[in-house]
Amino acid sequence: MASGSKQEAGKQSLLFTPGESLLHKANPLTSLVIMLWMISAAAVLPTAGTAILVLAAITVSMATGVGKRSVKRLLITMTPIGVALIVVHGLLIERPDQTDLGLVAISPDGLDYALKVFMRVAAMLMATLLFVTTTHPSEMLKALDQRGVPPGVGYLVASPLLLIEPFSDRAKAIRDAQRVRGLDLTGSWKARIIALPILLMPLITLALSDLDQRASILSGRAFRAFPRRTVINAPHDSTFQVWFRRILVAVAVLQLGIPLLWHF
Amino acid sequence: MKFDTRTLILMAAAVVINIIGGQIAHFLKLPLYLDSIGTILVAILAGPLAGGITGLVTNLVWGLILNPVAAAFAPVALVIGVVAGLLARAGWFRTWWQATISGAIVAVPSTIVAVPIIVYMFGGVTGGGPDFAAAYLLAVGQSLVQSVAFSNLGINIADKAVTALIAWIVASRLPLRLTSNFGFFEHSRV
Repeated sequence: MASGSKQEAGKQSLLFTPGESLLHKANPLTSLVIMLWMISAAAVLPTAGTAILVLAAITVSMATGVGKRSVKRLLITMTPIGVALIVVHGLLIERPDQTDLGLVAISPDGLDYALKVFMRVAAMLMATLLFVTTTHPSEMLKALDQRGVPPGVGYLVASPLLLIEPFSDRAKAIRDAQRVRGLDLTGSWKARIIALPILLMPLITLALSDLDQRASILSGRAFRAFPRRTVINAPHDSTFQVWFRRILVAVAVLQLGIPLLWHF
Repeated sequence: MKFDTRTLILMAAAVVINIIGGQIAHFLKLPLYLDSIGTILVAILAGPLAGGITGLVTNLVWGLILNPVAAAFAPVALVIGVVAGLLARAGWFRTWWQATISGAIVAVPSTIVAVPIIVYMFGGVTGGGPDFAAAYLLAVGQSLVQSVAFSNLGINIADKAVTALIAWIVASRLPLRLTSNFGFFEHSRV
């Protein structure tokens, strides 16, 4: 029971949000290809196109039940970027169209460029958020295993995914324990620099302490005896999804390639 | 190249160290990233390729679970691991001061790779601390690329010097039974 609730807590701190939508049920590789197609579209579309892409992605995220989490993360990430873009491109970079407003000079062209970059990054971020909020990392790994990814690569990605949650919890526990003992984590520079090794070193030592043991266990299980792993409960896939992925990859390559050919 | 099981486990642990290091720097509100301690540790113990892959995987995993923007900087993390590994091979992680200088050297190529990503993908801003320095440099007449480069280089030199020093302290305190399995570490022994 305790481990179950711990697992739930762990899942909650990932961006993944459980659900029953089409995106949740889709093969993780299909979700991955949709994300890559959206990113490639965001790279080539004009501002109006990327704005539509962002709105479409937000609508889809709402419909799939991951909207709240995605939009919250989008706002947290994009608000400082948006402010910085307005200041840098609208006010600070000198452009011929700058209009003097007394205290500041504003450039409409600069603001246009800031909006273009903002929408492009927001579209790419929403594409990524749609993927990570609807695809659990373990399902993605199963899909990769099913496609014949070597066990070493699978371990390198899967092991940190499993370890990060307990280590994040441990870091918070050490931080709280040290604060109770009087360690100043919010004071002067000096106090915070002194606190750094006190918080960091136990975690690094812990992460490295059982390397030998883990290596022995893995070797004992002959985990690299075969070049491919067998997935017992592989994510569902279908002929439709396979063709859908192929078409999307082709469209993504074309939409990136055609503007390049046009350019040259 | 196929890594042995022990190196693979070290790389996986290093990915966790990177992410936790970044989180602790965030807790303490330090103007440093500290998200490459594991990468440089692997580079010292197992070489440039293992270090580079550790950096790459860190940012991809980070992007996958916590912060999608981190994935955009995966090439930067790769370069940090590769350059640190090359410096370790050249014997530049034998003493604490060599490690600190190596960290500062690592900051240069990592900034060179980071600047085009920041300028062309994010319009020269990241929404973080270096934006203030970049804004100041823009205000005093530098170009966007110069402002981003100088502001990031300054923070990166401090960050990578501290990071490399921490990685060196950890590596030099590891028990012999552990480090004896990593032949590459001979380049960093006194």
